[in-house]
Amino acid sequence: MIDFEHVAKRYGGRFEALAHLNFRVDRGEMVFLTGHSGAGKSSLLRLIMRLEKPSRGRVVVAGHDLAKLHSSMIPFYRRQIGVVFQDHQLLFDRSIFHNVALPLEIQGMEPRDAARRTRAALDKVGLLHREKALPIELSGGEQQRVGIARAVVNKPALLLADEPTGNLDPQLSADIMALFEDFNRIGTTVMVASHDLALIARLRHRMLRLHEGRLVADEGIQ
Amino acid sequence: MTSTPPPQRRGARTQQSRFSSRLESWKLHHRAMAIDSLRRLLRHPLGSLLTMLAIAIALMLPAGLWLTLDSVRGLDAELTQSATLTVYLDSTVDSAEAERIHQAVMAQPEVIETRLIDADEGLQELQQSLGLDDTLVGLDENPLPFSIVVHPDDVSPQTMQATADYFAGMAGVDEVRLDLAWVERLRQITELGNRIALGLGVLFGLGVLLIVGNTIRLAVESRRREIEVVMLIGATHAFVRRPFLYSGAWYGLGGGVLALLLLGLGGQWLALPVTSLAQSYGADFTMPSLGLGGSTILLFCSTLFGWLGAWLAVSRHLSSIKPE
Repeated sequence: MIDFEHVAKRYGGRFEALAHLNFRVDRGEMVFLTGHSGAGKSSLLRLIMRLEKPSRGRVVVAGHDLAKLHSSMIPFYRRQIGVVFQDHQLLFDRSIFHNVALPLEIQGMEPRDAARRTRAALDKVGLLHREKALPIELSGGEQQRVGIARAVVNKPALLLADEPTGNLDPQLSADIMALFEDFNRIGTTVMVASHDLALIARLRHRMLRLHEGRLVADEGIQ
Repeated sequence: MTSTPPPQRRGARTQQSRFSSRLESWKLHHRAMAIDSLRRLLRHPLGSLLTMLAIAIALMLPAGLWLTLDSVRGLDAELTQSATLTVYLDSTVDSAEAERIHQAVMAQPEVIETRLIDADEGLQELQQSLGLDDTLVGLDENPLPFSIVVHPDDVSPQTMQATADYFAGMAGVDEVRLDLAWVERLRQITELGNRIALGLGVLFGLGVLLIVGNTIRLAVESRRREIEVVMLIGATHAFVRRPFLYSGAWYGLGGGVLALLLLGLGGQWLALPVTSLAQSYGADFTMPSLGLGGSTILLFCSTLFGWLGAWLAVSRHLSSIKPE
């Protein structure tokens, strides 16, 4: 599903955010990406989302060589990936329902189908009763669950999450991780970047550890 | 929903129905964006009105000038129709000879109508037109020759000149006058006006582009975060651009309607002095108006310019917006 071959990313010519990255994530796997802040977790996710190009090497995701992807095709590529952001990236001027329905609206799905899918996604994260609320009326944990519902509403093959539990207490964090495990169980490839080692160690999934832009450990399921 | 066939078996039909449902929801999205962008405009009524007013003023100036020229053109056509040649005969020519020349002139194919004016008639006309009732009565002898007023069928300056030259060459003809200079001058002024109106139209069209472009630029800036988010989750440039294009079109249309309104009001305001001025010259003059066709063209152009201005502004800014 994800293939990194000798990938390096340099910013401004000197600072090397990522170096000599070689790894492969198979379809249906669940992988944690860990390391201190500044270790390159976000840079790695940005490469997968094709927000940036690698300075060297090759990134292949779902069969697409991202360097060869024409810029007009990038939107269509991104529709295959669900992304959960640390700061949720919700739109505060529209309801929870419309936030979650946004990817379907962008894809041009018929409104009745879209409404059905949106409600199913909201139900999955336990927020169906809040569909008419505005994001500002929700707690941090609830906002994050809205972000997850939006990421999975179009049933992407790949789900990425960047520090999804960054600002949450341990119980809420565990709930969020359990949600990701649920999606993984139904076949979605999941990659979660997190520095919450205590939490992810308990979950027993493959773990990629980054240190100063290098892959220092690739620990399989213990 | 139960009628949807399972995708793995009825691939072609699913593809087709998916395409038509895509098309349907694409149309729905257009409608939603048109309404949404109108609602956004109405949320700030004063600001939107000011933008539309600026567009209206920019449109009014060339449109008003065009209307003025249009009425001058009408006047020009009327005046040209009444263009004549006057053939003055030698003072030695007697009435029989004059009648013979008159017949010869009338025989020319390009001549529609002629009138032979003898010396007495000529003197009377001169007195009337000059308002000198008594001065000329004091003359011992009528100094005027016979003259023939000719209405040619083709009133273009070249043909008139050629006809005049031909008549001037006839025996017994002293000279031929054609007072084309001022008709020609009027025509040149109208031509100049046309070019000025076209130039102004282009300039003010650019002005409308700039006004809408600037307004849309601010709108894009204020929705920057939203744009970044939708681009992160796979929105195409067309999707991002769509609401702004509708806003631009609405601004243009609103500006066009205001321009029509202002032109109408301006026409009413000028109608009284203009008609009385025209009447004092004995002319029958009606205030020009754009009419249905002209109004449609104005509205179409203003909407198009609004749309185009928005397109330029959004496209310029989209390249600078990169999702974070």
